[in-house]
Amino acid sequence: MSAARDYPPPPDVIRGRVAWVFGDDFDIDLVIGVENIKSYDADFLRGKVMRAYDPDFADRVRPGDVIVGGRNFGYGHPHYPPMVALRDLGIAAVLAESFSPGFWRGETYNGMPLLTVPGISTAVGTGDDVAVEWRRAVVRSGGTELHGEPPSDRARRVIEAGGSLKLLLAEHAADSGPPR
Amino acid sequence: MPSTITEKILARAAGVASVKAGENLPVRPDHMIAYDFPGYTDVMFRQMHDDFGIRELAEPERYLVFIDHMLTKGTDKEQEVHQVTRDWCEFYGIPLHEAQGIGHQVMAELGYALPGNFLIHFDGHISGAGAFGALGWGVRRDLLEAWVSGRIHLDVPRTTRFELTGEFAPGVDSRDLVHHIIGEFGADGCAHQVMEFAGPGARSMSIDRRQGLCGMAMFTGAVSAVFEPDEAALSYARRVAAADFTPQLPDPGAEYAAVHTIDLSALRPQVVLPGSARSANTRGAAELSGTPVTKAFIGSCASGRIEDIRAAALVLDGRQVGPGVELNVVPTSDAVHRQAEAEGLLDVLRAAGAQIARSSCDFCFGYQKPLQADENCISTGVLNISGRMGSTEANIYMGSAYTVAASAVAGTITSAEEVTRA
Repeated sequence: MSAARDYPPPPDVIRGRVAWVFGDDFDIDLVIGVENIKSYDADFLRGKVMRAYDPDFADRVRPGDVIVGGRNFGYGHPHYPPMVALRDLGIAAVLAESFSPGFWRGETYNGMPLLTVPGISTAVGTGDDVAVEWRRAVVRSGGTELHGEPPSDRARRVIEAGGSLKLLLAEHAADSGPPR
Repeated sequence: MPSTITEKILARAAGVASVKAGENLPVRPDHMIAYDFPGYTDVMFRQMHDDFGIRELAEPERYLVFIDHMLTKGTDKEQEVHQVTRDWCEFYGIPLHEAQGIGHQVMAELGYALPGNFLIHFDGHISGAGAFGALGWGVRRDLLEAWVSGRIHLDVPRTTRFELTGEFAPGVDSRDLVHHIIGEFGADGCAHQVMEFAGPGARSMSIDRRQGLCGMAMFTGAVSAVFEPDEAALSYARRVAAADFTPQLPDPGAEYAAVHTIDLSALRPQVVLPGSARSANTRGAAELSGTPVTKAFIGSCASGRIEDIRAAALVLDGRQVGPGVELNVVPTSDAVHRQAEAEGLLDVLRAAGAQIARSSCDFCFGYQKPLQADENCISTGVLNISGRMGSTEANIYMGSAYTVAASAVAGTITSAEEVTRA
């Protein structure tokens, strides 16, 4: 099992395109197929990702692209490998009407900006250009501007650090206190 | 300021006078729990030691580790996984409980799930602790934050209150209630919230039923679920508690996201179609009557307790598991297994043709006796996504222990009332 790759924090404004729009209650496992959810190997997963939706997906995604979801995005048992695969292709943020709590917590830990943006799933379509001010949860596409729920201070710090592990390491280095 | 049970528990754990929903703050869990699983506990222990340089824990008793997965094949790899866990727990002085049953149940038997306590785990089914008026929250890999700092940052959740009235009809139990709630309010009906259960219907439910209900909270989108602690919960807690505890009740006037009243006596047996527990997959058992099954499973952290085994024995007494059907029953813990044996329930199940397995998580996630392609299984497990119990081509239906036992007899999806009437 190779480890997930290391990714820098996102720029202040994420610029890219909408790579895909998913519906409500979307189970993230389906991105790579349930039979592949035990692999963390980005190279292996690259050949599996989105095959059921768009065989050309892996070739057309560029760094900065985002995916869009409906209500309760990430419902189910949200395993980590599907987002490993999507992030490896350059997906920089997930914008959804709402998130399933387990998915939200798990991917925020990994430093992925997950922004709740009401109206997003019908306001944009696949291929649309987007500019995402992730700290303010403002999404611009064409002449449309949507306002979502800004991340909490803690979530913002996690994303800025490149994930919870890096934030914790920085906090730990600054604080030689408990629990040891 | 009037507070919900959840706000009171989190305020106490955070060491502040009060918290309100929406606030984000660091909270000190009473216990920080895990079961050993490759890629989770082994990685977290290594990170704690190598990346954070932690050589000694100030409060190792706040940590708790269970070995309850991967117990049944006896392979070298299995042994290696568990030896890593044993070594780390010994190094840090962390209490380790091995092969006594499913941790979410054993935790309660050992007196960790006490009224008013706050518990976290990477696994969401820790919410079963809510049966005792404790708050159990599955925090995924953020468990590491608590392991290395003793605290975890949380968004204080809102609460939806469920006022329960009436009592379950024969052949109906809390699995039917949770699937009814999902069907009625949606798979995100309580998203990012805590479900709070109260009322005469809640008090009529056995502790087992409460554990099964709270343990399934995540499928409503909730982060946890909690019962108002009543005399049943308090007397259980007093019997097992090794430490003091402070039960929390909601204040009159506490603010809720929603309040729903549900009459338990009006509920009918529910079955969930393969795929997920979402509302569109929830059906009355009668609607699926006639769907053939080859495997049936009673067990898991939600539904293998003594009440579930009593339910199965009630249905199976004097009957036989149908031809071509394999019914596996896995008591949730060794203690439950011993009690079921002592009550003669397992003899009834064996006489009916059921197979009784030692308590572990292994059936529920397809490690033990995985389903083959095109098999139909009816299960009290917690999850029915493709591939959960073996082949991605197999179908998993979910229902209560009553429904699973009745279906095992009939060889088709059947409610207990149909079998017991025949």
